[in-house]
Amino acid sequence: MKFDSYHPIINLIYFLVAIVTAIMFDHPVFLGIALAVSFAYSVKLNGMRGLVFNIIFALLPPCYAIYYSYYNHFGITNLGQNIIGNEITLEALVWGFVIGLSAFIVVMWFSCLFAVFTSDKFIYLFGKVSPKLSLFLSILLRMIPSVKKKWRAIAIAQSGIGRGPGQGNFFRRMLNRCRMVSMIITWLLENFILTTQSMKSRGYTLKGRTAFAVYRFDNRDRGVVIFMFIGITVILMAILLDQTNIQYNPEIIFNKITAVSYVFYLCYLAFLIAPIILQLAYERKFSKLEMNLQK
Amino acid sequence: MANFKIKNLNFYYPTTPDTPSLKNVNLDIEEGGYITVCGRSGSGKTTLLKHLKTVLTPHGKREGEILFDGRPLDEVGLREQSSRIGFVMQNPDSQIVTDKVWHELAFGLESLGMEKKAIRLRVAEMASYFGIQDWFHKDVSELSGGQKQLLNLASVMAMQPDVLILDEPTSQLDPIAASDFLNTVKKINLELRTTIVITEHRLEDILYASDKVVVMEDGLVQVEGNPRDIGNLLREKNSQMFSMMPTPVQVFYGVQEADIIKAGPEIESAELKMGNMNFNSRNHNPSGNSVMPSERGSADCPLTVREGGDWLSEIFAKEKPGETRIDRGEAALEKADRFLDADPKECPIVVKEAWFRYEKESPDILRGVTLKVPPKSISAIVGGNGTGKSTFLKSIIGVCRIYRGKILIAGKKLEKYRYDELFRNNIAMLPQDPSNLFVKKTVREELEEMVSKDDPERVDSMGKLCQIEHLYSSHPYDLSGGEQQRVALAKVLLTNPGILLLDEPTKGIDSFFKKTFAGILSKLKEKGVTILMVTHDVEFCAKYADVVSMFFDGSVVTTNLPHEFFSRNSFYTTAANRMSRHIFENAITDEDLIELCKRNM
Repeated sequence: MKFDSYHPIINLIYFLVAIVTAIMFDHPVFLGIALAVSFAYSVKLNGMRGLVFNIIFALLPPCYAIYYSYYNHFGITNLGQNIIGNEITLEALVWGFVIGLSAFIVVMWFSCLFAVFTSDKFIYLFGKVSPKLSLFLSILLRMIPSVKKKWRAIAIAQSGIGRGPGQGNFFRRMLNRCRMVSMIITWLLENFILTTQSMKSRGYTLKGRTAFAVYRFDNRDRGVVIFMFIGITVILMAILLDQTNIQYNPEIIFNKITAVSYVFYLCYLAFLIAPIILQLAYERKFSKLEMNLQK
Repeated sequence: MANFKIKNLNFYYPTTPDTPSLKNVNLDIEEGGYITVCGRSGSGKTTLLKHLKTVLTPHGKREGEILFDGRPLDEVGLREQSSRIGFVMQNPDSQIVTDKVWHELAFGLESLGMEKKAIRLRVAEMASYFGIQDWFHKDVSELSGGQKQLLNLASVMAMQPDVLILDEPTSQLDPIAASDFLNTVKKINLELRTTIVITEHRLEDILYASDKVVVMEDGLVQVEGNPRDIGNLLREKNSQMFSMMPTPVQVFYGVQEADIIKAGPEIESAELKMGNMNFNSRNHNPSGNSVMPSERGSADCPLTVREGGDWLSEIFAKEKPGETRIDRGEAALEKADRFLDADPKECPIVVKEAWFRYEKESPDILRGVTLKVPPKSISAIVGGNGTGKSTFLKSIIGVCRIYRGKILIAGKKLEKYRYDELFRNNIAMLPQDPSNLFVKKTVREELEEMVSKDDPERVDSMGKLCQIEHLYSSHPYDLSGGEQQRVALAKVLLTNPGILLLDEPTKGIDSFFKKTFAGILSKLKEKGVTILMVTHDVEFCAKYADVVSMFFDGSVVTTNLPHEFFSRNSFYTTAANRMSRHIFENAITDEDLIELCKRNM
């Protein structure tokens, strides 16, 4: 049971909070928590591919730090001069690294988001805003595979008379592909007329369209929502108490770290890590059930 | 109560303001009825059907009136029409609007503005009734053609219409999916009392279920009546439409006609018209006193294979027929020699143990196909869906590369050909969907594209051969299925192939076009073209093929001459054979069967 079995609204709130906080916060502890959890979660969801992807993107923060410090020279701690004679400062270097890190975390959150959010969920959420808009998205999603299929069919048909996309010299091939694109466009227009007829025939133009979805909001979802809102409240308190940001310019200065700070850190961690914990818990439960069956 | 009354309907398309597309149509569609509208493509069937729903009605000049429940249809609101009049169109793909099965089912209900809970129940009901549960969450793109069309039907039925209108719903489906679909339509009619108005060219699957058959020609309702009488009515009018009728009807009247000629002119033609003609005249009294029909069983026209078989049994109940097989004699031997025992060196296509799979780890699609196609012949490959027939054709043109075995084209290995060489004056394939070949705006440009500029005569001669000269200025997409097929064929033939491959050439084509198409093929054969086709259409193979092969599980199971092939099969064979196999040994086509009946009378 993955996090994606929960109601789309819950998925949305979670990723919204995770991404917005990753952009807003520049406190190293908060960033560290977000980095660790987003890294773990994206690898958990996407497996090996996720790991490779993350490692490549991990180069982003140091690269950006170097680039940023090359052209920005605020701060009081001088580290030396670069080849064009500009001062490199520690503050600028660190700030560049922090920006790069935020970007890296956001990228990882997005990779999780795409794994959890199926097209259905997007359409459902859009349907809450505007049923017509969500229908439009759904039509678009229907079009992509059908265009692909038509492209393949045309390629084979054209190959059958020696004008396929892989036949003839380079010039000929390009020409054949252009022909195919033109055929696809004609077909799309033709097809669209028929689809419109089918839509009209089923009352598309009537006023007061609703949006149906297969999702239900059940008690499990309610529980998670309550938990999430407690978490969000605490995080908001942290923001109000200025616990989530520190000063980088002209000098790096931390706010005072008190016992309450630790509560905030823990709470942020708990909020972010909840989906992983839920997933692991389900996996354990399931393997237990299977073991019981085998007995 | 839902019913339609069409009174003196005339309709003119804006492009042809002088010739009406519908002429003085008068029709009553009763509640709960099953009405079949038939006629060749372009006869106005679709135009008529589209008049039964205002949003689909084409633009043009209209006279006369259409009443729905006693009210003029135009005055019935959009909301009411949307839910009460359901319409299923021809192409399964382009009707589907959304990307998910469940969403598609709910589409119409969303339009009506129904509550989520109510939609949930309705969708659940539909999915259960139509057996869609298993693919409820699937993407529409994963479904087969048959499933797509069933989904279209279900999503229309979800709105609980009183009338269901279907415009050639099975023309794009394979025979099994088609008869499944039509059975579901029949079930809806019987179980829910939904009025059905359907156009269809697979009459054998729906004629027996209909209450009324309407035959149209050139925008006119030519004949209208009970399915059992329709054959007779058409015969009386000497209509060409008679050839559309299914095998049992054809044979019934074919035999009857032979009977009349034999019996002489004494028989009153009135009796014939009543449909009470005593078809069995073996002991016919030469004085002209016809035997009472009751003695020879009912003389109602049979509509299904079972009824046709019963009818034959009745005829030959007292006296076993003396001649039970058509002796094809010398001709058959010669054919066998020429086609079955052809020298592989002369065969344009020779395939030896070809194996193919799409990917390294995927299952084999072709599993050791061995086949030789004799020169100057029409060879057919029949077989079920997904057995690899189409893939086999693709492997012959090298789109799918086999990983084991050999394919020889005109005696030369396929790999040895450069692409251009293979398709220049050598081999060409007509795809299943002819529209995949069309690039230009008119048919003429379409053909001219294939030849060098200084060679317009070839275009004209090809246009003549394929009988498409009158279509030259039309847009290829505006043509009917059969016309598109012929334009595509002409285009393919302009590459001047010695070998012509056809993928499902009769799909979505009515019986007239089939006949024309077969005529073109036999002309090509005379010119020395070798034709290999893959098809589901058993009747077409029986009539026109020289050699038939059965494809199953990725290889060719058997190859034989059509009459041998089909008389040995008991399921996968023609209707005439299934109807008569308990009496005659090798009647394959309608003509065979009529001939045998005649000889035994």
